This record gives sequence, structure tokens and C-alpha cells, in this order.
Amino acid sequence: MIRSWTRWASYAATAVVLCFVLSLVSSLVVESLPVLRQEGLSYLSGKTWHSRAGIFGALPMIYGSIVVSVIALALAAPLGVGAALFSAEYLSGRRRWIVKAPIELLAGIPSVVYGLLGVLLLRNWIYELLEPFDPLSGDTLLTAGVLLAVMVLPTVMTLSDDALRGVPASQRRAARGLGLTRAEGILRVSLPQAAPGLAAALLLGFGRALGETIAVFLVVGRQDNQWPETLLSPRAWFEAGQTLTSKLGGSETFVAYGDPLHWGAIVGLGLILLTLVAGLTLLAGRWLPDGRRHA
Amino acid sequence: MRRSSVGALVLFLCATTAPAALRVNGSTTVNPVISQAAEILRREASIEIQVDTVGGSSGGIAALGDGRAEIAMSSRPLSRRDRERFPEVDFRAVRIGTDALALVVSGDVWNGGVRCLSRGQARGLYEGRIRNWRELGGPDQRIAFFNKEPGRGTWEVFAGWLYGDADSAPLVSLLEVGSNEEARSKVGSTRGAITQLSAAWADGETTFPLSICEDDGDEVAPTRASILAGDYPLARALYVVTDGPAEGAARRLIDLVLSERGQVIVERHGYMALTAPVQAGGAHP
Repeated sequence: MIRSWTRWASYAATAVVLCFVLSLVSSLVVESLPVLRQEGLSYLSGKTWHSRAGIFGALPMIYGSIVVSVIALALAAPLGVGAALFSAEYLSGRRRWIVKAPIELLAGIPSVVYGLLGVLLLRNWIYELLEPFDPLSGDTLLTAGVLLAVMVLPTVMTLSDDALRGVPASQRRAARGLGLTRAEGILRVSLPQAAPGLAAALLLGFGRALGETIAVFLVVGRQDNQWPETLLSPRAWFEAGQTLTSKLGGSETFVAYGDPLHWGAIVGLGLILLTLVAGLTLLAGRWLPDGRRHA
Repeated sequence: MRRSSVGALVLFLCATTAPAALRVNGSTTVNPVISQAAEILRREASIEIQVDTVGGSSGGIAALGDGRAEIAMSSRPLSRRDRERFPEVDFRAVRIGTDALALVVSGDVWNGGVRCLSRGQARGLYEGRIRNWRELGGPDQRIAFFNKEPGRGTWEVFAGWLYGDADSAPLVSLLEVGSNEEARSKVGSTRGAITQLSAAWADGETTFPLSICEDDGDEVAPTRASILAGDYPLARALYVVTDGPAEGAARRLIDLVLSERGQVIVERHGYMALTAPVQAGGAHP
């Protein structure tokens, strides 16, 4: 009796959750149909967005989102994994907690606070730093990337730490027993064993960077149609840009409301964002259980 | 990540457990006046009033149209498009004061000698044909134009001045700013910067309002005297908007702003009270 009751309740809970997900995705798709019908694939590949002319190409925003997230991860990965190595390999118990807690606390700071600090401090600092490159202002993709790096640090650090702690102590002891130094043990045993978990940590950090809105909104410049002359040239990072989230957070959302095509274009950005983040999360999820299986 | 979502949930619950009797939404230019009046009503009449500026004037009008707010704050007149978008809403705009929109520049531009722009020069700046302050007799510095987001009342008034109406403005992609606070802070900390901003918000230390050069060579500064005389072309009215005649708490708030006490608040924030003998010039009566 109890068994069937719990089963029924868990089925119901799952069904409700799945309903939420399905209705969310389907309403995003339905609402963005007008723009998909008009623009077709060039909604994704178009480099021009002029809402008043009815031209909607989201590529510069996809570029902006990916660039700021890549910068964020490039900065947060060595720091986060480095800090995780320290806490997982060299510290134990209370001392580990003393290092880990403040870093995890970073995750609890509301993102608007990061945004304000970004406007007040980081923006001006980057502006001075970039002076040799004659930036137009302190609002650049780089500024947003650096700010995001701080914000995704706790995600990367905590998950990396979990992945490293998942490597069995017996393996470490065996490495020591075979005469490996601590450094060799980390490089030859811990890191390779934890690699899938570390990759998952980085992917989830990337996903978090992609989705962050307010902090990016305040420092990215929100300049539309910024497409670099050379795709991989870092020169464009020193210029302002627009990300999917900064567009969604802007006042254009209010202007668009009521006009099916324009509104569809805005909702479509949400759909793109959802697809990107969901893809990354699924990818990370494939690796995460692998990492745990070793534990 | 989990902690931040728990925090957000707590904030959300706090925000929803105390429902506001009156929701006001819109322009950041009108906001200081309304916020202060709301504070008085909160203290003296215990009316809970929530004031939000997230989408600017158009955001406020859309919120009113959707029933997400009882009062919209607007720094531009209602347009035909507003009424077309919400045909079932009976928009009633009440003028609460007068403001002057100015082109506001950073200290290095001001100290470099740029004091005045003509309408043609303003167009050149907006369209990106003029790219360096040197071309306008200023310092050798690239021009960083912080454009107010379309949908903001300030942008609509500016575009109306340059191009007749906002829909005729050319399509440009400039750096964008939203609230007045953001515009002022970014212009003040960037070399060669300019934005469209209420003249009352320029602090005279890091941000400076430019005059407008008339065709006959006269310079008109956004001063009280020139605005009251109807000479300054970018003077504009500030409004609160309701759906039908205001009632209850909304009525009390609007009455307060229109009272002598409320008009003192309007003046204190650098705008002109209704009692001042105003003849706002330009395209906006």
C-alpha cells in the first residue's frame, strides 16, 4: 500500500515538473513563430537587428554571449580549478571548509550587486587598462567577461572540488606507495580521474555565464550589430557589444510587447538562450555521473 | 547557485506578502518627484506605494495598459501608437511639471571648449557622420554617444526634435543607456562622451548640459529663463498617466503632486512647477 502511494506521488510530481518544462518550451516556440516564419534561418545567421525596420538577425548577440562567457571561463577555470586542487588535495576537514565557504559565499551575492560594482570599479579599471587600444568607453565585452569570471568562480570551484574529492583516497595512497610525489600524484592520478567531473564543472560555469543578465547588462554597452571583422580577433573584445541576455533585459522588450513579429523576435532570443544553456547542461550531465562513478 | 536562488525566493516572498495599494511605473526623469510624494503618503496616510522605473516611459505606459500599474510616469506626451496598442484603455495624462532635455557631455569635452550644438550637428553626431570632437572645435577625442534606449521618453523627444517624429529617425547602433542614473554615471566617467539627458540631472562637475545654437547664431542654454520664455526648443512636459479618471490612492498621489507642496518637490528636483508661467517651445506643447 505504502509502496504504491509513494510511487503514485512521485509519478505525479514528475508529471507536473515535465508539464512545466514542456509548456515553457512550447510557449517559447509558439510565441517566436512569427519571426521564424519571416526570417527563417537568417534569424540565427543575420548580422543586422533593426527592430523599427523589421529586420531581426540575432548572430551578433549570440557572438556577444559566447565571447563574454569564453572570457569568463578562461579566467575562472585556472583560478577555480586551482583553488579546488588546493582545498581537495592539501586541506582536510575544517581547514578545507574555511577556504571553501567564502568562495561559495560569492555565489550568494545578488547579481545586481556585481553589476553595480562593475559599473563603479571594474568598468573604469578596464577603461584605463585598455587605454593603449583607444577604447570608446569602459563598456566592453572584456569588462562583462571579467565580471562574469568572478560570478562563475564559485560554480567552477565547488564542482571541481567535488570532482577531485570523488577520486578515492586509496588511489592517492597507492600513488604515494609507488613513490610518486604529491605533484606527480595530482597530475597523474587525481586530475585524470576527475577529468569528466572537471569538464562538467566548466560547462556548468559556462552555462551560468551565458544566462547571467543584470551584471552583464550594466557593463557590456548594449551596442547592437557589433560584428567583428575577423571572427577570432580579440580586438572586438575591447569594444562594446550586446548579449542575448542584455537585449532581453533592455527596454526593447517593453516596446516589442503587442507587436507579434517584434515580440516573437525577442522571445526567440530566449529560445536560443534556453537551447544553448540546456545543451551545455545536458552535455555536462553526461559527464557528471561518469565522474561520480569513479568515486 | 542554490543559495542565490533561495535568496531570490525569500526576496520574492517578501515582495509578494505586502501587496502595494498603488503601483507606479515608468520614466526615471519623473521618478524622483513621484517617489518623494509616495514617501509622504506612505508616512502620513500609510498608503503602500510601489514605484518602478524598469522600462522608462514606454515601459510605464505598457504596464498601465496591461493592468500591471495604476499610474504611468512619462517624460513624453502620449502617442497615437500608445492608444492603438491599448485601444480598450482610456489614457488620461496629467501634466505635473516641465523639464528641459539637453545634450549632456563629459568634462573633457566641456573644458575643451564645446558649449553649443546646432540641430544639424546633433544629427551628425547621432548618425555617426561626426566622429571626433575636433570637428566641432573641441578636443581631439573620439565621440562616445551613449544613446538613450528607444522607448525611453527622453529618446522619443530627442528623435522628435531632430527628425519630426520618432519613427522617422534613422537606424543606428550606438552604445545604449537606460536610466538617467546610468546615463549620468557613464558619461561622467568616459572621455569624449555625450548623451541625451534631462538638464536637471547634469551635475556641473563631471557632466555638463550644452546649449543649442540657433540658425541665427544665438545660443540658447537650458536655463530656467529660456525655458520659461519658450526659447529653448527641447523643453518638455512631464506627465503622470492613468486609465480613466484617477481614483482612490492614485487620486491622492496625483492631488499631492499637483498641490503647492507637491510642486515644491517638482522644483526641488530641478524641474519647473506648473505655477511657473510656462510656454514650452518646440514640437511638444
